[in-house]
Amino acid sequence: MRLILEVWRQDGPQAQGRFETHEITDATPEMSLLELLDRLNHQLVEQDQDPVAFESDCREGICGTCGIDINGVPHGPEDNVPACGQHVRSFHDGQTVRIAPFRAKSFPVIRDLIVDRTGLDRIIQAGGTVAVDAGTAPDADTIRITHHDAEEALDFAACIGCGACVSACPNGAAYLFTGAKLAHLRLIPAAQQERSKRARSMVAQMEQEFGPCSQIGECALACPAKIPLRAIAAVNRERIRAGFRSRSKEN
Amino acid sequence: MAVTGSVFVAFLLFHMAGNLKVYLPDAELHFNEYAHWLRGFLNPLLPGSSFLWAFRAVIALCLVLHVYAGTTIFFRARVARGGFGRAITAKWHALTGRTMIWTGLIILCFIIFHLLDLTVGAKGVASKSFSGKATYTLEDGEVVTNAYQNLIGSFERPAVAAFYIITMVLIAIHLSHGIWSIINDFGGTASRTRSVFLVLAGLIALVIVIGNASIPLAVLAGVIS
Repeated sequence: MRLILEVWRQDGPQAQGRFETHEITDATPEMSLLELLDRLNHQLVEQDQDPVAFESDCREGICGTCGIDINGVPHGPEDNVPACGQHVRSFHDGQTVRIAPFRAKSFPVIRDLIVDRTGLDRIIQAGGTVAVDAGTAPDADTIRITHHDAEEALDFAACIGCGACVSACPNGAAYLFTGAKLAHLRLIPAAQQERSKRARSMVAQMEQEFGPCSQIGECALACPAKIPLRAIAAVNRERIRAGFRSRSKEN
Repeated sequence: MAVTGSVFVAFLLFHMAGNLKVYLPDAELHFNEYAHWLRGFLNPLLPGSSFLWAFRAVIALCLVLHVYAGTTIFFRARVARGGFGRAITAKWHALTGRTMIWTGLIILCFIIFHLLDLTVGAKGVASKSFSGKATYTLEDGEVVTNAYQNLIGSFERPAVAAFYIITMVLIAIHLSHGIWSIINDFGGTASRTRSVFLVLAGLIALVIVIGNASIPLAVLAGVIS
Protein backbone atom coordinates (compact mmCIF):
# COMPACT_ATOMS: atom_id res chain seq x y z
CA MET A 1 0.00 0.00 0.00
CA ARG A 2 1.13 3.50 -0.78
CA LEU A 3 0.29 6.26 1.73
CA ILE A 4 1.13 9.95 1.75
CA LEU A 5 1.86 11.05 5.33
CA GLU A 6 1.63 14.67 6.37
CA VAL A 7 3.40 14.68 9.71
CA TRP A 8 3.60 17.55 12.19
CA ARG A 9 7.21 18.55 12.84
CA GLN A 10 8.09 20.97 15.61
CA ASP A 11 11.62 21.28 16.98
CA GLY A 12 10.65 22.46 20.45
CA PRO A 13 7.93 24.04 22.59
CA GLN A 14 8.69 27.53 21.32
CA ALA A 15 9.48 26.56 17.71
CA GLN A 16 7.13 27.14 14.80
CA GLY A 17 5.52 23.85 13.72
CA ARG A 18 4.82 22.69 10.16
CA PHE A 19 3.47 19.68 8.29
CA GLU A 20 6.08 17.64 6.42
CA THR A 21 5.01 15.34 3.59
CA HIS A 22 6.49 11.87 3.25
CA GLU A 23 5.57 8.88 1.13
CA ILE A 24 5.43 5.33 2.41
CA THR A 25 5.31 2.80 -0.40
CA ASP A 26 5.44 -0.48 1.51
CA ALA A 27 2.71 -0.05 4.12
CA THR A 28 0.64 -3.17 4.81
CA PRO A 29 -3.02 -3.26 5.91
CA GLU A 30 -2.25 -5.08 9.17
CA MET A 31 0.29 -2.47 10.35
CA SER A 32 -0.79 -0.41 13.32
CA LEU A 33 -0.51 3.37 13.07
CA LEU A 34 2.49 3.29 15.40
CA GLU A 35 4.17 0.72 13.19
CA LEU A 36 3.49 3.03 10.27
CA LEU A 37 5.36 5.77 12.15
CA ASP A 38 8.17 3.28 12.92
CA ARG A 39 8.36 2.53 9.19
CA LEU A 40 8.51 6.25 8.42
CA ASN A 41 11.27 6.80 11.01
CA HIS A 42 13.27 3.91 9.56
CA GLN A 43 13.02 5.58 6.18
CA LEU A 44 13.98 9.00 7.63
CA VAL A 45 17.04 7.58 9.40
CA GLU A 46 18.14 5.85 6.19
CA GLN A 47 17.95 9.26 4.48
CA ASP A 48 20.02 10.83 7.30
CA GLN A 49 17.06 12.86 8.58
CA ASP A 50 15.75 13.28 12.14
CA PRO A 51 13.14 10.68 13.03
CA VAL A 52 9.67 11.87 14.10
CA ALA A 53 9.38 12.03 17.89
CA PHE A 54 6.27 10.26 19.18
CA GLU A 55 5.26 8.50 22.39
CA SER A 56 4.36 4.84 22.75
CA ASP A 57 4.81 2.14 25.33
CA CYS A 58 2.72 -1.01 25.72
CA ARG A 59 1.24 -0.98 22.19
CA GLU A 60 -1.69 -3.05 23.41
CA GLY A 61 -4.05 -0.32 24.54
CA ILE A 62 -3.54 -0.37 28.28
CA CYS A 63 -0.94 2.29 29.05
CA GLY A 64 -2.32 5.50 27.53
CA THR A 65 1.07 6.69 26.36
CA CYS A 66 0.40 6.87 22.65
CA GLY A 67 -1.74 9.69 21.45
CA ILE A 68 -1.81 11.31 18.04
CA ASP A 69 -4.45 13.00 15.94
CA ILE A 70 -5.16 11.23 12.65
CA ASN A 71 -6.92 13.47 10.13
CA GLY A 72 -8.15 15.64 13.00
CA VAL A 73 -9.51 12.73 15.06
CA PRO A 74 -7.70 11.66 18.27
CA HIS A 75 -6.20 8.15 17.98
CA GLY A 76 -7.60 7.63 14.47
CA PRO A 77 -10.71 6.86 12.42
CA GLU A 78 -12.03 3.92 14.48
CA ASP A 79 -14.12 4.87 17.53
CA ASN A 80 -12.94 3.80 21.00
CA VAL A 81 -9.60 2.34 19.84
CA PRO A 82 -6.17 3.70 20.86
CA ALA A 83 -3.67 4.67 18.15
CA CYS A 84 -1.68 1.49 18.75
CA GLY A 85 -4.78 -0.59 17.97
CA GLN A 86 -5.76 1.35 14.83
CA HIS A 87 -4.64 -0.15 11.57
CA VAL A 88 -3.55 0.98 8.16
CA ARG A 89 -6.48 -0.99 6.68
CA SER A 90 -8.72 1.96 7.66
CA PHE A 91 -7.15 3.89 4.76
CA HIS A 92 -7.26 3.26 1.04
CA ASP A 93 -4.27 2.96 -1.26
CA GLY A 94 -2.78 6.34 -2.10
CA GLN A 95 -4.66 8.20 0.66
CA THR A 96 -3.15 11.24 2.34
CA VAL A 97 -3.07 10.79 6.11
CA ARG A 98 -2.47 13.80 8.30
CA ILE A 99 -0.73 12.96 11.59
CA ALA A 100 -0.69 15.68 14.24
CA PRO A 101 -0.13 15.79 17.99
CA PHE A 102 -3.12 15.87 20.36
CA ARG A 103 -4.61 19.32 20.06
CA ALA A 104 -5.75 21.56 22.91
CA LYS A 105 -4.57 24.73 24.61
CA SER A 106 -3.76 22.69 27.71
CA PHE A 107 -1.58 20.23 25.72
CA PRO A 108 1.43 22.27 24.52
CA VAL A 109 3.68 20.48 22.03
CA ILE A 110 7.07 19.40 23.40
CA ARG A 111 8.44 18.06 20.12
CA ASP A 112 6.84 16.76 16.90
CA LEU A 113 3.97 14.50 18.02
CA ILE A 114 4.72 14.61 21.76
CA VAL A 115 2.54 16.87 23.90
CA ASP A 116 2.75 17.85 27.53
CA ARG A 117 -0.17 16.12 29.28
CA THR A 118 0.87 16.95 32.83
CA GLY A 119 -2.33 19.04 33.16
CA LEU A 120 -4.11 15.72 33.68
CA ASP A 121 -1.54 14.69 36.31
CA ARG A 122 -2.22 17.92 38.18
CA ILE A 123 -5.92 17.00 38.35
CA ILE A 124 -4.95 13.61 39.83
CA GLN A 125 -2.56 15.29 42.29
CA ALA A 126 -5.31 17.69 43.34
CA GLY A 127 -7.42 14.63 44.18
CA GLY A 128 -4.89 13.70 46.85
CA THR A 129 -4.50 10.33 48.47
CA VAL A 130 -6.95 7.90 49.98
CA ALA A 131 -6.37 7.15 53.66
CA VAL A 132 -6.24 3.39 54.11
CA ASP A 133 -5.45 1.34 57.15
CA ALA A 134 -1.86 0.19 56.56
CA GLY A 135 -1.98 -2.51 59.23
CA THR A 136 -2.52 -6.19 58.60
CA ALA A 137 -4.75 -7.12 55.72
CA PRO A 138 -8.44 -6.97 56.75
CA ASP A 139 -10.57 -10.09 56.66
CA ALA A 140 -12.53 -10.59 53.50
CA ASP A 141 -16.03 -9.09 53.71
CA THR A 142 -15.20 -6.64 56.53
CA ILE A 143 -15.61 -3.84 54.01
CA ARG A 144 -18.71 -4.59 52.01
CA ILE A 145 -19.24 -3.50 48.42
CA THR A 146 -21.94 -4.81 46.12
CA HIS A 147 -21.04 -6.61 42.95
CA HIS A 148 -22.74 -3.88 40.91
CA ASP A 149 -20.76 -1.08 42.58
CA ALA A 150 -17.51 -2.97 42.18
CA GLU A 151 -18.16 -3.55 38.48
CA GLU A 152 -19.23 0.07 37.95
CA ALA A 153 -16.12 1.38 39.74
CA LEU A 154 -13.96 -0.88 37.58
CA ASP A 155 -15.65 0.39 34.41
CA PHE A 156 -14.69 3.97 35.32
CA ALA A 157 -11.26 2.89 36.55
CA ALA A 158 -10.59 1.71 32.98
CA CYS A 159 -9.49 5.25 32.04
CA ILE A 160 -5.88 5.10 30.85
CA GLY A 161 -5.39 8.87 31.03
CA CYS A 162 -4.31 9.29 27.42
CA GLY A 163 -6.00 12.68 26.98
CA ALA A 164 -7.94 11.81 23.82
CA CYS A 165 -11.11 13.23 25.42
CA VAL A 166 -9.48 16.65 25.77
CA SER A 167 -8.14 16.56 22.23
CA ALA A 168 -11.50 15.45 20.81
CA CYS A 169 -13.51 18.03 22.75
CA PRO A 170 -14.44 21.14 20.74
CA ASN A 171 -14.31 22.96 24.10
CA GLY A 172 -10.97 21.50 25.22
CA ALA A 173 -12.62 20.14 28.37
CA ALA A 174 -11.34 17.34 30.63
CA TYR A 175 -14.74 16.36 32.07
CA LEU A 176 -14.66 12.76 30.85
CA PHE A 177 -11.23 12.23 32.42
CA THR A 178 -12.06 13.91 35.73
CA GLY A 179 -15.51 12.31 35.79
CA ALA A 180 -14.03 8.84 35.31
CA LYS A 181 -11.78 9.34 38.34
CA LEU A 182 -14.53 10.79 40.54
CA ALA A 183 -17.10 8.18 39.49
CA HIS A 184 -14.59 5.41 40.12
CA LEU A 185 -13.54 6.56 43.61
CA ARG A 186 -17.00 7.54 44.84
CA LEU A 187 -18.03 3.88 44.76
CA ILE A 188 -15.04 2.49 46.63
CA PRO A 189 -15.74 2.21 50.40
CA ALA A 190 -12.12 2.96 51.34
CA ALA A 191 -12.21 6.23 49.38
CA GLN A 192 -15.35 7.62 51.05
CA GLN A 193 -13.54 9.64 53.72
CA GLU A 194 -12.20 12.19 51.23
CA ARG A 195 -15.14 12.22 48.83
CA SER A 196 -16.13 15.93 49.08
CA LYS A 197 -12.60 17.21 49.46
CA ARG A 198 -11.53 15.24 46.41
CA ALA A 199 -14.43 16.53 44.31
CA ARG A 200 -13.80 20.15 45.28
CA SER A 201 -10.10 20.17 44.57
CA MET A 202 -10.13 18.04 41.42
CA VAL A 203 -12.93 20.09 39.85
CA ALA A 204 -11.22 23.37 40.81
CA GLN A 205 -7.96 22.18 39.24
CA MET A 206 -9.77 20.98 36.11
CA GLU A 207 -11.61 24.28 35.65
CA GLN A 208 -8.35 26.16 35.97
CA GLU A 209 -6.60 24.50 33.05
CA PHE A 210 -9.29 22.99 30.86
CA GLY A 211 -12.43 24.13 29.06
CA PRO A 212 -16.11 23.96 30.03
CA CYS A 213 -18.37 21.02 29.08
CA SER A 214 -21.40 21.43 26.85
CA GLN A 215 -22.33 17.74 26.45
CA ILE A 216 -21.27 17.45 22.82
CA GLY A 217 -20.24 13.81 23.18
CA GLU A 218 -17.07 13.73 21.06
CA CYS A 219 -14.99 12.62 24.08
CA ALA A 220 -16.84 9.35 24.63
CA LEU A 221 -16.39 8.43 20.96
CA ALA A 222 -12.65 9.06 21.08
CA CYS A 223 -12.07 7.32 24.44
CA PRO A 224 -10.04 4.12 23.93
CA ALA A 225 -11.18 2.87 27.37
CA LYS A 226 -14.87 3.27 26.45
CA ILE A 227 -15.60 5.57 29.41
CA PRO A 228 -19.31 6.37 28.97
CA LEU A 229 -20.62 9.93 28.69
CA ARG A 230 -22.20 9.41 32.14
CA ALA A 231 -18.77 10.24 33.57
CA ILE A 232 -19.45 13.89 32.69
CA ALA A 233 -22.56 13.89 34.84
CA ALA A 234 -20.46 12.37 37.64
CA VAL A 235 -18.33 15.53 37.70
CA ASN A 236 -21.42 17.66 38.27
CA ARG A 237 -22.94 15.17 40.67
CA GLU A 238 -19.85 15.13 42.88
CA ARG A 239 -19.46 18.91 42.60
CA ILE A 240 -23.08 19.58 43.57
CA ARG A 241 -22.89 17.06 46.42
CA ALA A 242 -19.71 18.66 47.78
CA GLY A 243 -21.29 22.09 47.39
CA PHE A 244 -24.17 21.15 49.68
CA ARG A 245 -21.84 19.85 52.36
CA SER A 246 -20.00 21.98 54.89
CA ARG A 247 -16.49 22.86 53.76
CA SER A 248 -15.19 21.54 57.06
CA LYS A 249 -16.31 18.05 56.06
CA GLU A 250 -13.99 15.96 53.93
CA ASN A 251 -16.30 13.04 53.24
CA MET B 1 -27.48 27.03 32.47
CA ALA B 2 -29.54 24.06 33.57
CA VAL B 3 -31.47 25.94 36.29
CA THR B 4 -32.42 28.88 34.08
CA GLY B 5 -32.91 26.56 31.12
CA SER B 6 -35.37 24.41 33.09
CA VAL B 7 -37.37 27.56 33.91
CA PHE B 8 -37.56 28.35 30.18
CA VAL B 9 -38.65 24.82 29.28
CA ALA B 10 -41.52 25.05 31.79
CA PHE B 11 -42.39 28.54 30.57
CA LEU B 12 -42.40 27.46 26.92
CA LEU B 13 -44.76 24.56 27.62
CA PHE B 14 -47.26 26.77 29.50
CA HIS B 15 -46.92 29.51 26.89
CA MET B 16 -47.71 27.01 24.15
CA ALA B 17 -50.70 25.60 26.02
CA GLY B 18 -52.12 29.14 26.14
CA ASN B 19 -51.35 29.75 22.49
CA LEU B 20 -53.21 26.60 21.44
CA LYS B 21 -56.49 28.22 22.56
CA VAL B 22 -56.57 29.75 19.06
CA TYR B 23 -57.80 26.34 17.84
CA LEU B 24 -60.83 26.28 20.13
CA PRO B 25 -64.26 27.11 18.72
CA ASP B 26 -64.99 30.69 19.81
CA ALA B 27 -61.23 31.20 19.81
CA GLU B 28 -61.41 35.00 20.00
CA LEU B 29 -63.39 34.88 23.26
CA HIS B 30 -61.30 32.13 24.91
CA PHE B 31 -57.96 33.61 23.88
CA ASN B 32 -58.82 37.12 25.07
CA GLU B 33 -60.34 35.79 28.29
CA TYR B 34 -57.15 33.84 28.92
CA ALA B 35 -54.97 36.89 28.21
CA HIS B 36 -57.10 38.92 30.61
CA TRP B 37 -56.89 36.19 33.27
CA LEU B 38 -53.09 36.14 32.99
CA ARG B 39 -52.88 39.89 33.64
CA GLY B 40 -54.90 39.59 36.81
CA PHE B 41 -53.52 36.22 37.94
CA LEU B 42 -53.82 35.56 41.71
CA ASN B 43 -56.32 38.46 42.12
CA PRO B 44 -57.55 39.41 44.63
CA LEU B 45 -54.74 37.87 46.73
CA LEU B 46 -52.26 40.07 44.88
CA PRO B 47 -53.33 43.47 43.53
CA GLY B 48 -53.64 44.24 39.80
CA SER B 49 -50.93 42.80 37.57
CA SER B 50 -48.39 42.37 40.37
CA PHE B 51 -48.00 38.62 39.79
CA LEU B 52 -47.46 39.21 36.09
CA TRP B 53 -44.71 41.74 36.79
CA ALA B 54 -43.03 39.53 39.39
CA PHE B 55 -43.14 36.69 36.87
CA ARG B 56 -41.68 38.91 34.16
CA ALA B 57 -38.86 39.94 36.53
CA VAL B 58 -37.97 36.30 37.22
CA ILE B 59 -38.00 35.40 33.52
CA ALA B 60 -35.90 38.47 32.68
CA LEU B 61 -33.37 37.56 35.38
CA CYS B 62 -33.22 33.98 34.07
CA LEU B 63 -32.67 35.32 30.56
CA VAL B 64 -29.77 37.55 31.64
CA LEU B 65 -28.13 34.70 33.59
CA HIS B 66 -28.72 32.19 30.78
CA VAL B 67 -27.17 34.48 28.15
CA TYR B 68 -24.29 35.35 30.49
CA ALA B 69 -23.55 31.67 31.27
CA GLY B 70 -23.86 30.67 27.60
CA THR B 71 -21.46 33.32 26.33
CA THR B 72 -19.02 32.52 29.14
CA ILE B 73 -18.96 28.86 28.08
CA PHE B 74 -18.49 29.90 24.45
CA PHE B 75 -15.50 32.13 25.13
CA ARG B 76 -13.89 29.81 27.71
CA ALA B 77 -14.23 26.96 25.20
CA ARG B 78 -12.57 29.01 22.47
CA VAL B 79 -9.60 29.74 24.71
CA ALA B 80 -9.29 26.11 25.87
CA ARG B 81 -9.42 24.80 22.28
CA GLY B 82 -6.33 26.87 21.51
CA GLY B 83 -7.08 27.72 17.89
CA PHE B 84 -7.21 24.14 16.60
CA GLY B 85 -10.46 23.40 14.79
CA ARG B 86 -12.45 20.26 15.45
CA ALA B 87 -14.64 18.50 12.90
CA ILE B 88 -18.11 17.33 13.93
CA THR B 89 -18.12 13.52 14.19
CA ALA B 90 -20.55 12.70 16.99
CA LYS B 91 -23.61 13.50 14.83
CA TRP B 92 -26.76 15.07 16.32
CA HIS B 93 -25.58 16.30 19.74
CA ALA B 94 -22.28 17.51 18.33
CA LEU B 95 -24.17 19.56 15.78
CA THR B 96 -26.80 20.92 18.15
CA GLY B 97 -24.37 21.36 21.04
CA ARG B 98 -21.89 23.33 19.02
CA THR B 99 -24.54 25.62 17.54
CA MET B 100 -26.19 26.45 20.90
CA ILE B 101 -24.61 29.91 20.94
CA TRP B 102 -25.88 30.72 17.42
CA THR B 103 -29.39 29.30 17.81
CA GLY B 104 -29.43 31.06 21.19
CA LEU B 105 -28.50 34.44 19.69
CA ILE B 106 -31.22 34.18 17.03
CA ILE B 107 -33.74 33.18 19.72
CA LEU B 108 -32.66 36.23 21.75
CA CYS B 109 -33.32 38.49 18.74
CA PHE B 110 -36.65 36.73 18.32
CA ILE B 111 -37.62 37.34 21.96
CA ILE B 112 -36.98 41.07 21.54
CA PHE B 113 -39.00 41.14 18.30
CA HIS B 114 -41.78 39.04 19.85
CA LEU B 115 -42.10 41.39 22.86
CA LEU B 116 -42.18 44.49 20.63
CA ASP B 117 -44.67 42.81 18.32
CA LEU B 118 -47.23 41.24 20.65
CA THR B 119 -46.58 42.62 24.16
CA VAL B 120 -45.53 46.24 23.70
CA GLY B 121 -47.04 46.77 20.25
CA ALA B 122 -44.24 49.04 19.10
CA LYS B 123 -44.82 51.10 15.96
CA GLY B 124 -43.16 49.57 12.90
CA VAL B 125 -42.94 46.11 14.51
CA ALA B 126 -46.50 45.32 15.58
CA SER B 127 -49.33 44.79 13.12
CA LYS B 128 -51.92 47.45 12.22
CA SER B 129 -54.38 45.78 14.59
CA PHE B 130 -52.20 46.55 17.61
CA SER B 131 -51.40 50.11 16.51
CA GLY B 132 -55.16 50.58 16.00
CA LYS B 133 -55.70 49.54 19.68
CA ALA B 134 -58.20 46.81 18.79
CA THR B 135 -60.42 45.99 21.77
CA TYR B 136 -62.71 43.12 22.67
CA THR B 137 -65.73 43.06 24.97
CA LEU B 138 -65.79 40.02 27.29
CA GLU B 139 -69.03 38.26 28.28
CA ASP B 140 -69.23 40.27 31.51
CA GLY B 141 -69.03 43.50 29.51
CA GLU B 142 -65.43 44.36 30.37
CA VAL B 143 -63.46 45.88 27.48
CA VAL B 144 -59.97 44.36 27.08
CA THR B 145 -57.14 44.46 24.55
CA ASN B 146 -57.92 42.20 21.62
CA ALA B 147 -54.83 39.97 21.90
CA TYR B 148 -56.39 37.52 19.43
CA GLN B 149 -56.68 40.12 16.66
CA ASN B 150 -53.10 41.29 17.37
CA LEU B 151 -51.88 37.74 16.84
CA ILE B 152 -53.87 37.22 13.65
CA GLY B 153 -52.79 40.64 12.36
CA SER B 154 -49.17 39.84 13.06
CA PHE B 155 -49.18 36.41 11.41
CA GLU B 156 -51.01 37.65 8.32
CA ARG B 157 -47.70 39.28 7.35
CA PRO B 158 -45.89 36.42 5.52
CA ALA B 159 -42.37 37.60 6.42
CA VAL B 160 -43.23 37.76 10.12
CA ALA B 161 -44.95 34.36 10.00
CA ALA B 162 -41.86 32.91 8.32
CA PHE B 163 -39.62 34.40 11.01
CA TYR B 164 -41.79 32.84 13.73
CA ILE B 165 -41.77 29.43 12.06
CA ILE B 166 -38.01 29.42 11.48
CA THR B 167 -37.34 30.49 15.07
CA MET B 168 -39.60 27.71 16.38
CA VAL B 169 -37.46 25.18 14.49
CA LEU B 170 -34.33 26.74 16.01
CA ILE B 171 -35.90 26.67 19.50
CA ALA B 172 -36.63 22.96 18.99
CA ILE B 173 -32.99 22.35 18.04
CA HIS B 174 -31.82 24.40 21.02
CA LEU B 175 -34.18 22.48 23.34
CA SER B 176 -33.25 19.05 22.03
CA HIS B 177 -29.71 19.65 23.25
CA GLY B 178 -30.61 21.84 26.21
CA ILE B 179 -32.99 19.38 27.88
CA TRP B 180 -30.48 16.57 27.39
CA SER B 181 -27.83 18.79 29.01
CA ILE B 182 -30.02 19.39 32.07
CA ILE B 183 -29.51 15.81 33.24
CA ASN B 184 -25.75 16.17 32.79
CA ASP B 185 -25.57 19.51 34.58
CA PHE B 186 -27.63 18.25 37.50
CA GLY B 187 -25.37 15.21 37.73
CA GLY B 188 -27.74 12.43 36.66
CA THR B 189 -25.54 9.38 36.24
CA ALA B 190 -28.20 6.65 36.25
CA SER B 191 -28.57 5.10 32.81
CA ARG B 192 -32.36 4.92 32.89
CA THR B 193 -32.84 8.53 34.01
CA ARG B 194 -30.52 9.62 31.24
CA SER B 195 -32.43 7.67 28.60
CA VAL B 196 -35.66 9.24 29.86
CA PHE B 197 -34.19 12.72 29.46
CA LEU B 198 -32.89 11.91 26.00
CA VAL B 199 -36.39 10.89 24.92
CA LEU B 200 -37.95 13.85 26.76
CA ALA B 201 -35.58 16.24 25.01
CA GLY B 202 -36.69 15.08 21.58
CA LEU B 203 -40.34 14.87 22.57
CA ILE B 204 -40.61 18.34 24.13
CA ALA B 205 -38.69 19.86 21.21
CA LEU B 206 -41.12 18.25 18.75
CA VAL B 207 -44.21 19.29 20.73
CA ILE B 208 -42.98 22.90 20.93
CA VAL B 209 -42.17 23.17 17.24
CA ILE B 210 -45.40 21.49 16.08
CA GLY B 211 -47.63 23.32 18.57
CA ASN B 212 -46.26 26.79 18.03
CA ALA B 213 -45.22 26.80 14.37
CA SER B 214 -48.63 25.47 13.35
CA ILE B 215 -50.31 28.72 14.45
CA PRO B 216 -48.69 31.11 11.91
CA LEU B 217 -49.11 28.36 9.29
CA ALA B 218 -52.82 28.08 10.12
CA VAL B 219 -53.22 31.86 9.95
CA LEU B 220 -51.47 32.02 6.56
CA ALA B 221 -53.57 29.13 5.27
CA GLY B 222 -56.71 30.90 6.45
CA VAL B 223 -57.73 28.11 8.84
CA ILE B 224 -58.00 30.62 11.71
CA SER B 225 -58.77 34.28 11.15
